[in-house]
Amino acid sequence: MTRNGQHRPSLWRQLIAFRGQTSRNTDLWVGVASFVGLALLWELAALMRWAPPQFLPGPGQVIGALWELLVKYDFLSDIGISVFRVWAAFLASAIIAIPLGLMMSSFRIVNGVSEPVVDFIRYLPVPALVPLTVIWLGIGETSKITLLWIGTFFQLVLLIADDARRVPKESIEIGHTLGARPFEILRDIVLRSMMPNMVDNLRITLGWCWTYLIVAEIVAADSGVGYVIMSARRYVKTDEVMAGILTIGLIGLLTDQLIRLAHRRWFRYL
Amino acid sequence: MKPATDPKQDFLVIERVTKEFEASDKDGKSIRVIDGVSLSLKAGEFAVFLGPSGCGKTTLMRMAGGLDHPTSGEVRLAGEVVTGPDRRKGMVFQAYSSFPWLTVLGNIRFGLKYRHDVDAAEKDRIARHYLKMVGLEDFADFFTNRISGGMRQRVAIARTLAAGPDILLMDEPFGALDAQTREFLQVQLLEIARAEGKTVIFVTHDVEEAVFLADRIFMFSARPATIIEEIDVTRTLGARRVLETKQQQDFFRLRNHVLDLMRVQARKTEEIFRPEAVGE
Repeated sequence: MTRNGQHRPSLWRQLIAFRGQTSRNTDLWVGVASFVGLALLWELAALMRWAPPQFLPGPGQVIGALWELLVKYDFLSDIGISVFRVWAAFLASAIIAIPLGLMMSSFRIVNGVSEPVVDFIRYLPVPALVPLTVIWLGIGETSKITLLWIGTFFQLVLLIADDARRVPKESIEIGHTLGARPFEILRDIVLRSMMPNMVDNLRITLGWCWTYLIVAEIVAADSGVGYVIMSARRYVKTDEVMAGILTIGLIGLLTDQLIRLAHRRWFRYL
Repeated sequence: MKPATDPKQDFLVIERVTKEFEASDKDGKSIRVIDGVSLSLKAGEFAVFLGPSGCGKTTLMRMAGGLDHPTSGEVRLAGEVVTGPDRRKGMVFQAYSSFPWLTVLGNIRFGLKYRHDVDAAEKDRIARHYLKMVGLEDFADFFTNRISGGMRQRVAIARTLAAGPDILLMDEPFGALDAQTREFLQVQLLEIARAEGKTVIFVTHDVEEAVFLADRIFMFSARPATIIEEIDVTRTLGARRVLETKQQQDFFRLRNHVLDLMRVQARKTEEIFRPEAVGE
């Protein structure tokens, strides 16, 4: 026991060592500490009046504003509608991008036809498309979801195609020599090998959805977290603005952690 | 006129096969990698394709598997022209040989996934049979990245055999393994090949491995590949090989002979590459 204790580098040393090894628990506490540290710094800045309180409310005031939004202004339904928009667009992107990306990686003709178009649209800034979606689709849900979809789909499809292309040639040839048909190779070998990378890419894409959501909700909406932030800004309710931002951050953090957890459970072999 | 062939005698026939690749340089001359190679294998024979790196032996083996296509000439398996890969031509690669998301048993069972001639219970039985044959029963439920490289190659061999191929094509399957594991797997492979009566094409550039495993060695020249010598190993060493075979005088003699051939070809390979190096 003593020998172990003596020879294992201390926790602190592990944390600062180049590519050091730590346990997941340690990582969690380091993460929490970093959050708490940031909050303390923020509180300090507010207490010391580094900026006027109407511009920089402290964490306590922001949480109070968040509570008030939730209780008095039905903020939960705004969160609900925003989450719905994000997930509707994200799922629509994924459902089309996964098969299309697989086809692009498998058939030259599909790639040849779609890649130039995808590359073209991929470089268009999403805010530039807002007027067009409003003219075409109005200011309803369809318009917002379409905007988010445009922002993510064209990136995602290329990521998926790249993931599929990185599947070793040998794995595909194994499929051929075991008598699998092309569709079976795609389903049982290509999709399965690329799955861990794909889930990571989906997680990252989901984050982008939130970015574009705010663009969509700021421009034309009467509900959603982005709308709440914008209306609060109009009355210089900085605490509410920050409460909205905090909410988005927390949702992002939570979603990310959940997907990471799922990733670890699904891909135990990694 | 071609004489009628006996499918037992000429189980796999490679006939005047030539392979050219389009060159990427500006004069657009294509590169000939295989130059009119003919050979034929008996059913149950263990053939080794031996030659310097990059000589085209792997390409030839891949053509036997239908994974590459000859520019001219043809490959016939049991009298039928090979046009593409299928379950009758099993392949074992050097790397990426097993699927990490499946267990050892799952990988072996994958070999049977596309067989519609056997039901699920029979698939389980066959998979367990080959699991036992490669001696991995204790590791049945391990994911393949938790086991050693040697074990992974045994999984690949078992999976390939489970698919029930007529011929086993192996592309330097032990190339990435350490010497001891390699030796152990060579013995095991020979036992399995004999027990199953499988026809095997085994590609390697390791002379000792070639002499130990082969019924017949096809010695390839530097690029473009032609067969420079066919060595009937079984006539000298007999069909039965054990580790001690490697200590026999006959084994040494044969190995040295093949090593000499190999050195000459390796030197030629050097010469092929030299003018380009000077020219640039």
